[in-house]
Amino acid sequence: MKKLNCFPGLVKYQNFYFLLIFLLNFYSCHNKQLSSNNQILYWSSNNTYEIEFSRAVVKEWNRLNPDQRVKFQPVPEGQSSEEVILAAVVGKTTPDIYSNMWQGDVEAYADAGVLVALDTLPGFLEFLNLRCDSQTIAEVTSRDGHIYQIPWKINPIMLISNVNMMKKIGFVTPPVTYSEFLKAGESFKKDIDGDGYVDQWVGYSEVMVRWWQRFFDFYPLYLAASHGAPLVRNNKILFDNIFAVNVFKFLQILYERNYFSKERLSARQDVFLSGVIATRFTGPWEIMHAENFKPEGFEYEFSPVPVPDEFKGEPYTYCDPKNIVIFNTCKDPKIAWEFLKMLTTKEKDLLFLEMTNQLPRRQNIAEDPFFENYFNRNPKMLPFARQAKFVKGTDTSPVLKEIFDIISQEYEACVVYSKKSPEQAIADAAKAARLIVY
Amino acid sequence: MINKNKMTPYIMVSPYIIHFLAFIAFPVIFSFILMFHRWNIISPMQYIGLGNFDHLFQDRLFFKAILNTIIFLVIHIPLQIIVALFFAEMLNQKLKLRGFYRAAFFLPVVVSGVVVTYMWQQLYGYDTGVLNRLLVWLGLGKVGWLLDPKVAMPSIAIMATWKNVGLYIVLFLVGLQSVPQQYYEAADLEGASHWQKFRHITLPMINPTFFMVVVLSTIGGFSLFIEPYIMTDGGPLNSTLSAVLYIYREGFFFYHMGYATTLGFFFALLILAVVVIQRKFVEREI
Repeated sequence: MKKLNCFPGLVKYQNFYFLLIFLLNFYSCHNKQLSSNNQILYWSSNNTYEIEFSRAVVKEWNRLNPDQRVKFQPVPEGQSSEEVILAAVVGKTTPDIYSNMWQGDVEAYADAGVLVALDTLPGFLEFLNLRCDSQTIAEVTSRDGHIYQIPWKINPIMLISNVNMMKKIGFVTPPVTYSEFLKAGESFKKDIDGDGYVDQWVGYSEVMVRWWQRFFDFYPLYLAASHGAPLVRNNKILFDNIFAVNVFKFLQILYERNYFSKERLSARQDVFLSGVIATRFTGPWEIMHAENFKPEGFEYEFSPVPVPDEFKGEPYTYCDPKNIVIFNTCKDPKIAWEFLKMLTTKEKDLLFLEMTNQLPRRQNIAEDPFFENYFNRNPKMLPFARQAKFVKGTDTSPVLKEIFDIISQEYEACVVYSKKSPEQAIADAAKAARLIVY
Repeated sequence: MINKNKMTPYIMVSPYIIHFLAFIAFPVIFSFILMFHRWNIISPMQYIGLGNFDHLFQDRLFFKAILNTIIFLVIHIPLQIIVALFFAEMLNQKLKLRGFYRAAFFLPVVVSGVVVTYMWQQLYGYDTGVLNRLLVWLGLGKVGWLLDPKVAMPSIAIMATWKNVGLYIVLFLVGLQSVPQQYYEAADLEGASHWQKFRHITLPMINPTFFMVVVLSTIGGFSLFIEPYIMTDGGPLNSTLSAVLYIYREGFFFYHMGYATTLGFFFALLILAVVVIQRKFVEREI
């Protein structure tokens, strides 16, 4: 019987096809991102304004250094840039330089040995001492004594207030202490539509238990109350203290008395600009948003987050720091470092501020005459620049996320649902956190 | 020398073999290895023996997540079966616009789960949600659909039932239409009531469909994820934390890959056990 051959071409060149399939499979799995001609590959955040800034600096660098070119691209799109970086580390497709690394992630990457210790590069420590104060340098120093990151940009968390609404309830200036804030809460709470339920609150904070939400309520308040005390240091849990308990107490009252809404308001039209709430904890990104979408006559101002009544001094806050790192896949860290020196000069910091409205993490920026003109033209940014002297990033711990998750679980039970006393909740959180630190 | 024609079948099946090895065999074997390791993706794997299992049996939150999932199933499966069977019976009658109703009931099934979840989140809103506005208009109090720990999981179960019931209506409809009419005619001659016909003819005859619906609902229910992930993130007070959401958190929020794999393995065994028990129980009972 004659054999039926439907694919004579396939049989004839079968070895070739077989090889082709395997090569394609092999190549598709081998997606190592090679910088052509040994160029330095630089990823920035994918924020539009930062892309423009980075592109401008890279263009200038390449003009001045045609033999040591830098190739720029924003971090590829993903659910979050953190996930993209993690995938790149796993796939060994990291860029040489990345300038949007959340400070809290650095320790885990340093532990994994995927970052270049920048303090081993010539002139780095002198550069860092000029740029940052000793507190910031201590904050970015890893547990092994090395420094793997350049403190680059911050977005301090402050209190934004609706000026006109606060005036209506007797607050010419924003509330400063817990008592003042609670008083504002009582005065502002209102049932607008007369259905017997409150629908106007003094503030709002996302009630979801996701760990990073606590960077926008508990943590800034804790830093403010404690003059910037750490949560964890040298594998020791330190937040089992009166400051944390008082912050939980304060926030618990806000929910108990219905000064803060328990409902998720984030899915609605902007509740601050529409007057449903009078304040919220936020960063400088709010300025551009408010300027674009605020109704006519709407006025707002920024002030430090509330502090305990007996508090004295300047309140700290969380600054959401994003830093620059060099991955150890970089073939020439010295050239990368030369490029970074240019990226972080005072002139470029001013350009960054102008183009992105984000603060460079540079000491005394509010007082430096070099930046004066910018702040005169952008007075809403000045409170953030002044606050920048009293900010903290994250503590150095490879289990920071887990610690924040534990705090967040207790936060929900105590602050939002009053199932526990603040003392018990903080003690339980500290106990659980002590089991996981290493 | 190998006959060239002998190679052809291997080339033809090679896409599947490559797919099988890369996406099924390798992950299964790798997961098995992972269960005995601590691994955060970026650092080298660290062998910890049975450490992950030890952690699992002390992990109260995981068992709470399993309990939550079971609560969801206990509400969702009977509700889904009753609603689906009821509407399938209705649509099996000679109705005007029957085609329209069939399409309408099936529509939520083809709508993205994320879209449905966001839509229901608006309905369930405490202050601005349609349901609470309706309750207030009727002179009743507001319900914390997604805020009250006792109500949140039933709320999600109702939403999941609404989303999926169309599929089960279609399945039951197919089952109902395959029941021979002679049985009903004979029962009519004997003077059987509508309930008697349903209990003694319809239910036994659609037993295979019934079993399939129970198994599909159970497996679907065990994989509860999108709804709590978007609507509540497992809250309030972990009352909607499903097992899959917890495993996801462990794996992709905290990168405890070894532990997440162990949880996944344990959970898969649990599902298998439930389905086996269901199979025996359901097939005998009806």
